[in-house]
Amino acid sequence: MTMSNAANIPQSATAAATVCWSCSASLKESALFCEQCGKIQPPSGGYFSVFGLEPRLNLDLGMLEHQFHKLSRKLHPDRFGRASEQEKEWSLASSSLLNDAYRTLKDPISRTRHLLRMHGAEIGEEFAGKDKKDPSRAPADLLEEVFELNMQLEELRMGDEDAGLKQSLSEARKKFVALQDEVDDQLRAEWAKWDEGAEFGNDAAREAAQKTMVALLDRRRYLSNLVREVTETLGDS
Amino acid sequence: MAYSDKVVDHYNNPRNVGTLDKSSAEVGTGLVGAPECGDVMRLQIRVNPETQVIEEAKFKTFGCGSAIASSSLATEWIKGRKIEDALEIKNTDIVKELSLPPVKIHCSVLAEDAIRAAIGDWKKKNGVAETAPVAVATAAN
Repeated sequence: MTMSNAANIPQSATAAATVCWSCSASLKESALFCEQCGKIQPPSGGYFSVFGLEPRLNLDLGMLEHQFHKLSRKLHPDRFGRASEQEKEWSLASSSLLNDAYRTLKDPISRTRHLLRMHGAEIGEEFAGKDKKDPSRAPADLLEEVFELNMQLEELRMGDEDAGLKQSLSEARKKFVALQDEVDDQLRAEWAKWDEGAEFGNDAAREAAQKTMVALLDRRRYLSNLVREVTETLGDS
Repeated sequence: MAYSDKVVDHYNNPRNVGTLDKSSAEVGTGLVGAPECGDVMRLQIRVNPETQVIEEAKFKTFGCGSAIASSSLATEWIKGRKIEDALEIKNTDIVKELSLPPVKIHCSVLAEDAIRAAIGDWKKKNGVAETAPVAVATAAN
């Protein structure tokens, strides 16, 4: 993910930013700062590389948080009071990238969605109703199940005895949450396979895990909709 | 986002909500879904075996207003048509009629898929040669 506001960045700095614009020392990939002179560099990284992380699904969340705080401090506007306009601009852009990246990566589902999308998975509403849709994305048995669960939910809502209704809805929510947890466990099992495939360049293994995860994320979307609807009906959280 | 008056009308007064007997040979059922947004749509038709006219159409949709309106409109349009004519209905016709915004076009696609799936299911049940192979994949049983 490259930043688009690179128009007024000196040419030498944008070209994959391999050397520092200030002292010409060579830079690590996606480095926010030069290790030699400490100057801020134009933002060039993606969500993982901004933290200096390999793109993997299993993340050390403690390390992620630590890096986030450390980098946030280094990018704090107070530190750029006397810097050039260009450097101020870079620090703001990097801050915003860092915040987006942290928010996306710390949540396991959004992290999975992000990484799989980077690898070509068609997840998200902009892909809904696409012409050449993979028929395995909407397996009949899953649709049957989701439809049935929705019907049950509707019946429960139409029931008139209040106490009983609330009870049944709470139970329904428990059931949906349990199903969702099951999906999450299955996702985690696939993370390991995907990461291993990425680690050892085993594309077949990585793609197989990716396909399974896309199906699991689809299932999860239906379930989280159900959970949300029950919660709305119950009127609490 | 503001829905068009027609969407609101179909949403508030959905036509042909309900269920037909799935096991009947005259009934075709299409169950389709959009995993990206979590919508599910079931559309059923009862076809006169002599005339191949769709005499009854019912739907049940769990999803947003546009998905409900698209399927409601679809049942209205296919009722009274011969199945081959019903297959002529394109999602773009639904988009136009309901003035769906670009982000909701997939709801109309879902409705078109549901029509095809229901007809495909009926054809399969009745041993009619399948002309729309896509429909088989999404047809329920």
